[in-house]
Amino acid sequence: MKKLTVLWLSALLLLAGCSGTSGNNENQNSVSTPETTATINVYTRDSSSGTREAFEKAGDFEGALTAKAIEVSSNGDMATKVGTDENGIGYVSLSTDFAANNVTPLNFEGVEPSEATVLDGSYKMQRPFSFVTRASGDFDSEEKEQLVAAFLDFLQNSTEGMLVVEKAGGVVDKTQGTPWEELAKNHPICSQDNSTITLATAGSTSVEKTLKAALEAFQPLAGNFQFTMNQTGSGDGYKRVMGSEKDGANKADIGFASREFKAEEEDVTQAMASGVYCIDAVVTIVNAANTAVTNLTQAQVKSIFTGEITNWADVQ
Amino acid sequence: METSLRHQRNAEKLKRKMRIDKAFKYLFFLAALLSGSCILLIVLFILIKGIQPFLPGYRYGQMDLLQFLFGTMWRQDQAVYGVGYIVINTLISAFGALLLSFPISVLTALFIAKIAPRKLSAMLSTVVELLASIPSVVYGVFAAGMIVKLVKWLASLWGISTAGGSSLLAVILLLAIMIFPTITSMAVTAIQAVDHELELGSLALGATKTQTNFKVVLKSAKSGIFAGAILGLGRAFGEATAVSMVAGNKLFGPTFDLFDITRTLTSTMLAGLKETTGLDYDIRFSVGIVLMAVILVSNLILNAVKEKVGNHG
Repeated sequence: MKKLTVLWLSALLLLAGCSGTSGNNENQNSVSTPETTATINVYTRDSSSGTREAFEKAGDFEGALTAKAIEVSSNGDMATKVGTDENGIGYVSLSTDFAANNVTPLNFEGVEPSEATVLDGSYKMQRPFSFVTRASGDFDSEEKEQLVAAFLDFLQNSTEGMLVVEKAGGVVDKTQGTPWEELAKNHPICSQDNSTITLATAGSTSVEKTLKAALEAFQPLAGNFQFTMNQTGSGDGYKRVMGSEKDGANKADIGFASREFKAEEEDVTQAMASGVYCIDAVVTIVNAANTAVTNLTQAQVKSIFTGEITNWADVQ
Repeated sequence: METSLRHQRNAEKLKRKMRIDKAFKYLFFLAALLSGSCILLIVLFILIKGIQPFLPGYRYGQMDLLQFLFGTMWRQDQAVYGVGYIVINTLISAFGALLLSFPISVLTALFIAKIAPRKLSAMLSTVVELLASIPSVVYGVFAAGMIVKLVKWLASLWGISTAGGSSLLAVILLLAIMIFPTITSMAVTAIQAVDHELELGSLALGATKTQTNFKVVLKSAKSGIFAGAILGLGRAFGEATAVSMVAGNKLFGPTFDLFDITRTLTSTMLAGLKETTGLDYDIRFSVGIVLMAVILVSNLILNAVKEKVGNHG
């Protein structure tokens, strides 16, 4: 008797299990989107990532990310993981190959992410990489000042410089580029041996990748000068070339910030040069099978990534 | 004709030979000293770096040691660092892998050493050796591409939604595959070292081959097999690259659900290491100390168990 009951119970359990899964499959086939009632799997980069910093700032939830988030190790890892998880949502840099990773980029506040919308400023999930130099005449030597000017010209205006920055993940307007060969004529300093000069940079850590690529590309074009990068955070960018630490042990020739310089505290009008050399754009992505969501507002991004909304059905 | 070699003994030559001998002795000693001091240096360096965040006057603000050791949340963005749950997760995944891999490894070793025909046995040993030499990153790619899909499918059978397959189960499966060659090759050596007379005695007493293999061979090789298990566990504890590709790196814990994401000590140390500075960098050395302590303690316990089961019974 006992045995029979156990047998019967296990048979029932098996049946229930089978019907449960087949039900799921039907659901998936008929709606063609993953079950809209599914929970959202939030993916994030580790906290030292510049992309995460930019994304959390754009979504206005710095430090408030849901504890349920799944941490991935790189931009590519993020794309792969979201590409295999129908219920996943994450964020990558604009230069990512979306189709190859089986993910769909989402519009932000109704604007599609693309190079054009980033450059004209309508796509808001972006931040500028700004630079500022020491004041004219405040450099260690005349040669150094000329070299800094040449480098910034290369970084901002040359086709070669733009390509290098773009390859490292920055968004630039390549139509504005001029071949370095032409620009070099304005910088006679580049034709002499500069191996005794060391350029020092400071400021934002997020610019490190693009800046390092540009400096390394420029080295052989400008007499093999040396450089040291001491990137500690956007706050130090202005401070160490124009502000309180400009003559301290950590002084630098060019300071960087992954934001605009603040007009009240960081007065860049006295600098030899300042500006924006590229734009960093972040894109929210979902799995390609998830066709229910195509656009997110900032409020939606915030509530999804802080864990307020945990179900895809509530995103509409 | 010479009857004695004595007169050929050249005192000068002998002295030189002795000198060379002595020189080599010192050379060997130097080599041993060098490799020994490496361990000492590494341990010292990690200890010094890792203890710093808990000392008063630490430049990024002193950390609370108890909160670090028993915390159940790891969030760099909120400066909350607790490894308590990560230690538990690491133990679960490593011992889970051992549990899964150990019986398969021992049976495989038995097959290779005792049952398989000579040619097949040689081939299988080569396969196991090859498995052992595959770099962990390759295992990681395999796990991220295949094991997670398997886990995802398994979970869907139960109607559970996973994070694309990244889960504790995926970590356990991956580690089980990775430590399999370590345990197997150690077990093969141990089984091959068993005295053949013992087996013959068992067979002569009327025991079948299977009975002999399980009750005599395995029992005599127990100590060596156990050593293999300890080595395998060490590899499971220490694996970072492959694990972090499928663990999902949960921010809080501990994780007991097989289909939930997890976080291990090594993946914690690795995540974003190259891009970080300050406290977030230094604290990884503290995690390193915890990892070394965990490995040391579990090795000591296992060694004690080995002594107990290895010598008697």
